Amino acid sequence: MDQSEIDALLHVGEKPAGKGKKAKETPAAPAPAPPAPKGSAVAADKEGEVISEIDAVTAVTERETNKVMDQLDTISQLVLKQQDLITQVMQQPGAQDGAVQQALHEIMSAGKTIQDKVYEAMDLMQFQDITRQKLERIVYHLRQIHDYIVDLLGTGLKSEGERANISRTIAQTGTTPDERKTHADTVIEEFKRSQQKS
Amino acid sequence: MKILIVDDSSTMRRIIINTLSRIGYSDVIEAEHGKAGLEKLGQGGVEMIITDWNMPEMDGLEFVTVVRTTNSSIPILMVTTNAAKEDIVAALQAGVNNYVVKPFTPDTLKEKIESLLG
Repeated sequence: MDQSEIDALLHVGEKPAGKGKKAKETPAAPAPAPPAPKGSAVAADKEGEVISEIDAVTAVTERETNKVMDQLDTISQLVLKQQDLITQVMQQPGAQDGAVQQALHEIMSAGKTIQDKVYEAMDLMQFQDITRQKLERIVYHLRQIHDYIVDLLGTGLKSEGERANISRTIAQTGTTPDERKTHADTVIEEFKRSQQKS
Repeated sequence: MKILIVDDSSTMRRIIINTLSRIGYSDVIEAEHGKAGLEKLGQGGVEMIITDWNMPEMDGLEFVTVVRTTNSSIPILMVTTNAAKEDIVAALQAGVNNYVVKPFTPDTLKEKIESLLG
């Protein structure tokens, strides 16, 4: 992408930050509401329930993920404490035997492996934030449908306040850290080259 | 070095703080959206910012834009799920110095931070 393309992108009438505080897309102006069919009102209510449930799921998964993180923190601290104790034992006169030292080194090494795995598990918890944003995107669209139906029925039961911003592009690239890093780095390099050209 | 992390996900803030502490940065302060980030920044001492994009109250792009009106030199790293080319370009245009797409590995975060700090 060169500078002219970037400029064009920035002048098509939408602010680049658009998605952040994006106003809800206005649905087509509803025609004067016909008498509300009973079934549609039930459908709107059900949709409201689904939205609330999805909201609850995202809140619960964040809370539970933090509990898992707490446990991982505890394991991590215990391993560090164990490493300190082993270091102290290794310095004791009674532990200078070669076989004992060898065994203690192996315990230290196993402790380091546990620590690495704990860190790896903590890093994997990023899935929670990514899943949450995917769900928020679904909720955003459901709310639009919900509000549209409510408008149509004239019940005035709008969905609740402002949502966290929606990542509309979350599914557009690969899902592994390597794929996403390569993609981002490529775009950054292109951007820098275009800046140098201009 | 004091680093400000701005992200609405408490899980993600913990992960970033944890990663930073493993690579030698333990002086960290947090904010859950751009508005709170600006308040923390106003308290002084922040030498680097790591921010998410999608947040309530004030999103990351708006936050970066506001920061850049008064501070053109502080390194800013955006860490987000937004991976579309136009998003990355928009962030760079707003004043972000580098960009990491979630999920990230500790090595990626380290590499990006080190490249920002020269």
